Amino acid sequence: MLKKHLFRGCIALMVALSAHVAMADVVMVVHPSNSDAIDAKVVKRIFLGKEKKFPGGSDATPINQVAESSVRGEFDDSVIGRSSAQVSAHWSKLVFTGKGVPPAEVADDAAVIAAVAADPTAIGYVDSASVTGAVKAIQVQ
Amino acid sequence: MKKIIAMSAVALAVSSGVQADVRINGFANLVGGITSSDDSLYGYDDNVSFSPESLFAIQVSGDINERMTATGQLVARGEDDYDVAFEWAYLTFQATDDTSISAGRLRMPLFRYSASLDVGYSYHWVVAPQSVYNVPFNNIDGVRVDFNGYSDDLEYTFQLTGGKVENDFTLAGQSARLQINNVIVGTAEFTYLNWKFRGVAARGDVTFDIPALEPAFAQLGQIDSGLQSLLEANDDSGLFYGASIEYDAFDWFVAAEFTGAEIEDSFYPDETNFYVTAGLRSGKWTPFITYEKSDLNDGPKFVDRIAGFPAPLQVPLTQLVIGIQQPAISENDTTSVGVRYDYDTNVALKVDVSKYSDDLDESQDATLVRFAVNYVF
Repeated sequence: MLKKHLFRGCIALMVALSAHVAMADVVMVVHPSNSDAIDAKVVKRIFLGKEKKFPGGSDATPINQVAESSVRGEFDDSVIGRSSAQVSAHWSKLVFTGKGVPPAEVADDAAVIAAVAADPTAIGYVDSASVTGAVKAIQVQ
Repeated sequence: MKKIIAMSAVALAVSSGVQADVRINGFANLVGGITSSDDSLYGYDDNVSFSPESLFAIQVSGDINERMTATGQLVARGEDDYDVAFEWAYLTFQATDDTSISAGRLRMPLFRYSASLDVGYSYHWVVAPQSVYNVPFNNIDGVRVDFNGYSDDLEYTFQLTGGKVENDFTLAGQSARLQINNVIVGTAEFTYLNWKFRGVAARGDVTFDIPALEPAFAQLGQIDSGLQSLLEANDDSGLFYGASIEYDAFDWFVAAEFTGAEIEDSFYPDETNFYVTAGLRSGKWTPFITYEKSDLNDGPKFVDRIAGFPAPLQVPLTQLVIGIQQPAISENDTTSVGVRYDYDTNVALKVDVSKYSDDLDESQDATLVRFAVNYVF
């Protein structure tokens, strides 16, 4: 019993520590002209291919980061609520049933910002420290 | 007709490459297995083999215009000596944001995992539970309408599929042919928070062409042609139904699926199958356990009809009526434990151990170890 508690305590501590280390503050970024009300649920639907439009009815183009990006892992974990492998398994289901095309992937925060600044339909995510005046940042967590 | 559809889907996909987007994706399952000594299961024996369940596939899809997409899937299966076949070839028309219509050769949406059955990467098992998923009719030539939507936290998908199925299969070691005409499949799927529910019902006119049974049917016909046509599956109405439920808390999940089929006026036994599976997701590891059962042992049909015949005929009739039904009768259950390891966001490694027990013939019991590499690109 004591062992179990000790074990649980250690796990909790480890989780807390690792969460602290890995915790990048992820924010969504859209074109400055985009005035849609975007919350975590909307982001989840768009990035899982369940919705192709913003709540206001205009087209949405999600922009993902490559699998190697640490911001991607944080986004999948905290906003989508699944591991990157699970998100990828979800997309493999859609792709191989002809039901969807996964979001385009770019290399890093700078590339996301460049893509979003150039496209009024785009939505991406970056570390909050990377946000520039070229895009509008939205906190969804 | 099928060939034309397949060819045109490719032609469209390829020709559109000049001016539009052509997407090439692929997936591969390399599955190896070995059974306990002197046993065999799912095509494996007591020497390591890769051919029974390995497959390699390429999917080409192209947008013909804003609303139309052509998709073709080429699959090479180890069990077919890696001969490449066009398993899917269809056009999809996105009628509205919620509704799409696909036509050509498609996957028939009979099961929870029908659509991604061949994509090992998309699920935790090494291979989807055979008790439920091992049917000789996965693809259909026809039309499918998909409708999906959501309100608040409830997401729903409805599918209506119609068409024709033709397939070769093996019954009791002999090759046979199955044809199902006028197939209609309706499915409904609901996702509510962590829950997923699915129901399916289908019907079709079934014809089994089984050379191994021909002599017995001919003998039966000489005694009574009524009994012969009753036992033969010749354009006879068949029913399929199924339901599944899943709870996925992300750190763990549990799911169950049940299916049944019957072709009343035929030798084919009423069948019911199910599995229950559960797993834990811990970082890159997903250990899981599955119990599955297949029951095609509902007692021989039509035996009560024999009593009406003259006494000298009853013995040969009984032998024939039961003998014809015998090859399809089976009852077994399987328990598997295994683990999936997410090596990368497009590669999974898996291993499982299955203990198969045959409820009719203990000598068929077997233990199978399988390992798999699933890849998607």
